[in-house]
Order: sequence, then structure tokens, then C-alpha cells
Amino acid sequence: MDKFTDYLAVNVFNEQRVVSYRALSRALKVHSNLAKQMLYDFHQKQNARKASSVHATYLITGTRNPQQPAQTNGVHSQDEDSLMQSDTFMSSSAPEPDAGTGEESIPVKSIILAKEEDLEEVKNQFENITSIHIYSLEPGTINDLQILTDCNREISTKYADEDPLQTWRQYGTIQNANVKRRSMRRPPPAAAPIVPVAAPKDTIEAAEQRTAKRPPSPRMKDIGPKKKDEGKEKSPETVAPPKPGPIVSSKPETTRKFVPPKKETSDLFKSFAKAKPKKQASASSAPQTPLTEDEPMAEAEEEEQEEDFRIKISTKEEREAKAKAKKDREEQLRKMMEDEDEEMADAPPAETTAQEDEVEESKPIDRPVSRDSAADKEATVTVSGGRRRGRRRVMKKKQMKDEDGYLVTKEEPAWESFSEDEPEVKKAKPLAVNSSAAKGKKGKAGQGNIMNFFAKK
Amino acid sequence: MTNSLDVFLQSPTTNDFPNLERTPSSYNPLQTYDLAKGNDKHYQQQYADMYFTRLAMLKKPVEQVAAEAWDDFKIAGETAKKVDRVLAVRQGQLCWIVGTVYMEMPLKPNVLDDISKEHWIAAPPPRAKFTSPNGQDQIMLEDESGRIRLTGSFLPMQLLVTGCIVAVLGTENRDGEFDVVDLKVPDLPAQPERWGRHHSQVQGGKNNQQNGTPQAGKMAIVSGLGINGDEGDTLCVDLLLEYLLGEAAGPESQVAAANISRLLVAGNSISHGTPIPSREDVAAKKKKYGYDPTAYNAAPTERLDVLLATLLPSLPITLLPGLTDPANVSLPQQPLHPALFPHCRAYSLIPGESSQDPGWFDTATNPWQGDVDGWRVLASGGQTVDDVFKYVEGEDRIEMMESMLRWRLVAPTAPDTLWSYPFQLKDAFIISECPHVYIVGNQPKFDTAVIEGPDGQRVRLIAVPKFRDTGELILLDMENLGVEVVKFDLFQKT
Repeated sequence: MDKFTDYLAVNVFNEQRVVSYRALSRALKVHSNLAKQMLYDFHQKQNARKASSVHATYLITGTRNPQQPAQTNGVHSQDEDSLMQSDTFMSSSAPEPDAGTGEESIPVKSIILAKEEDLEEVKNQFENITSIHIYSLEPGTINDLQILTDCNREISTKYADEDPLQTWRQYGTIQNANVKRRSMRRPPPAAAPIVPVAAPKDTIEAAEQRTAKRPPSPRMKDIGPKKKDEGKEKSPETVAPPKPGPIVSSKPETTRKFVPPKKETSDLFKSFAKAKPKKQASASSAPQTPLTEDEPMAEAEEEEQEEDFRIKISTKEEREAKAKAKKDREEQLRKMMEDEDEEMADAPPAETTAQEDEVEESKPIDRPVSRDSAADKEATVTVSGGRRRGRRRVMKKKQMKDEDGYLVTKEEPAWESFSEDEPEVKKAKPLAVNSSAAKGKKGKAGQGNIMNFFAKK
Repeated sequence: MTNSLDVFLQSPTTNDFPNLERTPSSYNPLQTYDLAKGNDKHYQQQYADMYFTRLAMLKKPVEQVAAEAWDDFKIAGETAKKVDRVLAVRQGQLCWIVGTVYMEMPLKPNVLDDISKEHWIAAPPPRAKFTSPNGQDQIMLEDESGRIRLTGSFLPMQLLVTGCIVAVLGTENRDGEFDVVDLKVPDLPAQPERWGRHHSQVQGGKNNQQNGTPQAGKMAIVSGLGINGDEGDTLCVDLLLEYLLGEAAGPESQVAAANISRLLVAGNSISHGTPIPSREDVAAKKKKYGYDPTAYNAAPTERLDVLLATLLPSLPITLLPGLTDPANVSLPQQPLHPALFPHCRAYSLIPGESSQDPGWFDTATNPWQGDVDGWRVLASGGQTVDDVFKYVEGEDRIEMMESMLRWRLVAPTAPDTLWSYPFQLKDAFIISECPHVYIVGNQPKFDTAVIEGPDGQRVRLIAVPKFRDTGELILLDMENLGVEVVKFDLFQKT
């Protein structure tokens, strides 16, 4: 029974929030009538302990005194005016018998929401009160009752995934046995109509692999800074590979030979992804989030929403194909991880890259062009349903201090993921590499194009 | 202070609260005002056809009424004779004629003026009334042959608007005007029996599982929810929602709420949804040509969708569009598109699929008619009455509603001052069967009455106020057609 006290204490006192009886009933999965009593209990006890520590609003139901003019104002102040106007019109300019209102008296029931300080005044306006209950509790008095709307707005978003036909009984909502709902539920509009199906699937598998090793972190917030720290130690581009989303479609040089089979599998998956059982997704989507760091959360959400309307078919063939594809993918993933690890190890020492550069520089003078074309070629793009996702190899400029204290600017190949949001980079602009230390070594490159001199640094 | 009053003002009890079951609703909509879809909908026709067919269809009933009343009518030994054509009336002869009323009002908007005049200054704001105080208004009666001006002291007592079909008795005076002594309207058409259509369907073997007529609950009627993009003025809508779900208020109210078997939303659910911006909206908007995507605000429709989707698991809903809703502007307004309601869609019929059962969430036309719990219900979003209001003196909306029923016209002023689809083969706005309940939404205040027809027809008229302004929900008892009001309000001192 103290569960509700805890909940209310945390939300009202600590988080300074408004808690309505509906919010409480949803949070604790209790009947809304019981929630009203809980609010009352909490209100009594807390205010007994310390006067006016909790503020309440009440909902009063009953019939009002007929002679009492409605004193309610606020939102309806304007409307009161217009009502008055029409009333006077009625009495002055309408001689017609007011048939309806005249011969039969229409019962009017009033449901009024009031703050606790106004409660007595409101009660006096009523001829007959059928019920009073606490509508909400809040830490202090509220100026505008309208902020109570937030409670319901929150309920509609927070518990949107609950099936109302199943779960609402416990809240005391009136049940209707005749309700007709189409079995095939459409997704809410937030879900993008075309979702790259293959990519998230892999994300999940990757996530599963990793979470086996790592303790699952409960909150994304917690893992965020930590990841950043890890990233700092390595070069910036080493952080990129763990991004799970685009892994499927893109390969570093070393795994390039795998391109054709991989494409196949991803295609396979695209066609079968619809058959994926829901359970898996919901189970794995949670651990997936910590890993995605800077990958947009939206992807995970899209994935979940899409699950809602997937048709659950799994024939034997499909299952086999799936299993095979999965195996392939896992192996490739593993390989890729290894490769990337090597690459990461390579990245920091400046010499190795420099050597690489030198090797490449021994080629003819039109080097930048050839390199560009290579970069273009290397960009692997998955186009799924009109959406372009993938990774491409770009040259990144990197500045560092060498042993002599000079600033060295280097170009290094790096992988970056891109999506349709970004325009396709036609040519990675060859960046001028000029710094006093690198001049001797890289003079050739600098002389290649005079435009480099004017290039933006 | 009763015991039930304190039931929630006590510490949590262990006793279980009952789970309430909602009263079922028998629902059978008619497709009277559905327009043809797609390429079958044409706009090339002349509006004159509407008046022609209207007169052709209503002439007979008016003649019957008039003949009964005036057959042996004598003034100074002269018997009233029927004259077939307006232009065939001879001066000094006592006779009666049938035709369409046309109101010539200087203040009435005239499309020809709009075209011929060049407006260099901003037009004046729309008028509340077209009537001009100094008697410049003229009432005319026209048929296929021509027009004759009506006059006489009898006329100002009558409620007349452009488009209604009447029979007038009198003589032509020296000025060539028709001096009216008496006036007859078609009056209420025949009224079907309660459960009439239901029984015929049962006998037809369509609906075998329901032989008996179950005890009906109540229908909740609301109009003018007026949801807009602004936050912080929708708490009353929340209270309405909680009341209808049976979560708010005390056990008595919850039991009462469980007896509500259907919600009818009579227009203007969204306050600024119309595709044609109002004069005020245009003035407020800064000049920008073409469509401005930044001006679009999805919040109101989303909020309405969530609101209705929250109600739907518990309560079937019939949703009529209104003047400010994102539907077509000309009457009959067609159902709001299901794409506006991503959450509610699951409860509606699959578009384009014909089904025996109506949708749980029924987006209907405006005006709309159908059978609810056996009663024939005619409902409109309110534009029709608002437009009639402009033609006549006075404020009594119920009287206007009554007149419209007696004229047998849902939208008499269409197509003159009310936008309308150009019907060609028939005027769909003619009421062929008398409803039991006539609901008009978005009226300035709540009002109701029961009117009776010459053949014992009884019609419950309900003028539904705007919820946004009044916070009033109307409950109609579907057994005895009694009406009650539930008023939601916030108590806030200024």
C-alpha cells in the first residue's frame, strides 16, 4: 500500500510534478477510483505532517444553484460575454414561445474543476453535490489550471503502446464488448514509410554480440560520456566503425572481396525482414541503444514501430535462408571487426600513414584524381526503397604536432557513413598538405596544383 | 452529504470497484449525402438545375397542403383559384401560386457584384445579417416562367429565405405586386416508424441475429471542440474525455456514463482546419505567395486523433465535419479523410471497401442522416442554420430549424449564399423522410424543443452549442428522446 506513497513522494516532492488520478492509475496499474483515494490519502497525511505541503485540485459533480450566476471565468470569460448577449437578445427581441426550454426543464449536470482554496466557494454554488474527488496533486498552488492537461498528454504518449482493449479494464475505463477494430494495425505516422529494413536487423545482431561481453547499461545517458572518453584515446575515425547501422552495406578496403556476397545477404534480408518475429526486436532494441551513441535514436524507434505491423510469417525456406544469412553475416562481421581493429592500431603512428602516402605519391602527378575516383568507387551504397545509406571513403585532414613542435597536417583515409540526408559528395576535395615539417617530404604533392595554394585551410 | 459523496475522500479501500460495461448502440447510417467519387464528380453543371429540381420535387406536396387549406376559400364571394404559372396571374384575381422564394437584399453578397466591381479597398467584414433596416429587402416568388414580387402586411411575420418552396394566396395589386394573404409550406414529410428500417432489414434476412430491439442507452452530442494548435486551453476537453470514459467523477456519474452508447461530433472539431482561410486569417498572415509549409501546424489534428483514439476503445463515434474542419467547404461536406486520423483508422472501415457493418469510427458527411437505436437522426454541422440566420430577424435558432424541417430543406439557402455541390438530377438537400431527431451543431447556445407535424410526426430539435465556448455536452436519451446537459467547467478566479 505504500507503493503509491513512494510514487507520489518522488513525483510530487522530488520531481515537482503534477500527478492526476489518471496518471497515478496508469503508473501503478490500479483502478482510477482507487487512485483517487490514494491521492486523498497522500494529501491528508502529508498536510497533516506539514501544513500545505501538497496542493490539490478537486473535481466536483452535481447540480448548480439555478439562480447563482456562473462565476467561472478564466478560459470562458469571452464566451460568457457572448452568452450574456444572446440571453438579452432572447428576452428582448424574441417574442416567440420558447417552446423547448419553457415546457420541459432540462437537467443540467455540472462537472467543475477547482483548486483546493476555492473548494468551499464552489461547493456553495451547488444545489446538490453528487461527488467530490481529488483530481490532481501538485507541489504548490497553480496559477493556471490548464497545466493539468500535461498529465493527459503524457499519458497518451507514455502508454501509447498499451493495447487499450486489453489493459484499460484495470483502470476502470468503461468496457465495450462490441468494439470493432481492424486486426491489421497500421503504424502511427511517425514511422517513415520506407525504412531500410536490412540495416537495423544487423544492428541488432551486432548489438547482441557485444552485449554478451558488456554489462548492459540501463541508460543511454550514462554510457554517453564514457563512450566519448574511449573515443578520445583513439583517433576520431576509429570511433566511427562501431556504428552499427551502416556496417552491413559498407566495407573497409580489406574486406572488399566480400562485397558481392554481402550485398546478396542484405538483399535477402530485405525481402525477409518482414517475417522477423517481434520478440527479438523488442528484446534486443534495448541493448542496442547504448551502442548507437551518436547514431540517431530515430532509427531504433522506426524499427520498433515497424514491428507492429509486420506480418508474422515464417515458412521453412525463409527460416533456413535466414539462418544461413545470419551465419554469413556473423562471420563477416567478425572479420570486419578484426580488420578494423588492426586498422585502428595502425592509425595513430604517423610514420605508417606517411609511408603509405609516399607509396601512393610515387604514382603520376594526376594522383588526386585517381584517388578521388578510388574514393568514389569505395563508397558502397545500399539503396533500399529509395533511401540511400552507406559508407564511403573520404580523405580527412588531420593536424598534429610532431616531435619538433611543428604542426603537421596530413590526409588520412577515413570511412564515414552517409545517408540520403547528405548530398552525395562528388569529389573529395584534395586538401593541400603543407606545413613546414612536411614540406620536404611532400613537396611534390604541394606543387601538383597551384590551386592548392589558395585552397581554404 | 451522502455516503457516495465521500467515497473518494477516504483512504484507499480494498473493495473492488466494478467494471462497467457500455450499453451497445444500434447504428445504421444512410448514404444520403455521399457524393460520387473521383471522376464521377463534376462541377460543370449549372446551379439552376438545383432550383429546378427542387421546385419540381416540392411542388406537389405544397400544392396538396395549399389545396386542402384554400379550396373553398372565399373573399367577397370570390373563390381562390390555383394559377399554374407565376406570370399567368391576372390583376385583381384571387388566386394562389406555388414557387421558389427569392430574397432580394442589398446587403446580401452577390457574386455578380464581386465580378463586375473592382475592389480597391479591403472589403468590409462579413455581415452578421443580410437584412437591412429600412425595408429595402424584397421578397420574390419565382417559378420556371418568371418572378413576381410579394408584398403585404402578412409577410414580415413569416420566416422566409431564398430557396424555400411555398404557396401563397392573394391578389395582384395595381403595382404588379402580389399581395399575400396566406402562405403555406410543404410541412413535415412522412416519418418512418422507429426501428422501421431495422425491421425491414431483419425481415429481409440481412440482420438475423438481432430480432428484438435492445434497450437503448444515450447518445452524447458535442460540437465545436475547436482544437487549435495553442496549448493550454483544452482541459475541458480532457474532462469530457475522462467523463465519457467513466474515469472521472463519482460512481453515479460513471454508471451514467456507461449508459452513453455513442458519441456524435457535430462539426468544428478543429478550429482552423478549413482549406480556405477566413478573412481574419488572411489579414493576420503576412503576404506570401503560394503554399507556405512553415505555416502548417499538425498539432490540432494530432491532438484530435489522440483524443478520439482514446475514446474509441470504449465508445463508438460518428464524426461530422464542420465549417472549420479540414474537409471540402461546399455542402454536403464529405467525410474527413482517414489519413487525418492515424490512430483512429484501425477502428474505421477500410476505405473503398463496402461492408455491411458501419465503421466503429464513422467519419460521416455533413449533413448526415442515419438510424441510431432505431430513430432517424438528421444532423448538421451548423452552417445551414447559420446561413438562414442571416436572412431573418431574430435569434431563435430552434425556430429556424423548425422552419427548415417544414420547408423540407436541409440547406435552403444553398446554392445562393451557401456553398454547395451543383446537384443536377435531384436536390439532395430535400428531406424526403421526416427525422425523429434533428441536431444542429455549433450554435451560440443550447436549445431544444419538440415539434409536431400534421400527421402526428414528432421531432426532437436540438441546437448544440460550441463546446469550446460553453463546455456543454448534450445527452440524448435514445428511449424517450429526453435531453440533458452536462457542463464542464473550470473554476478560476480572475
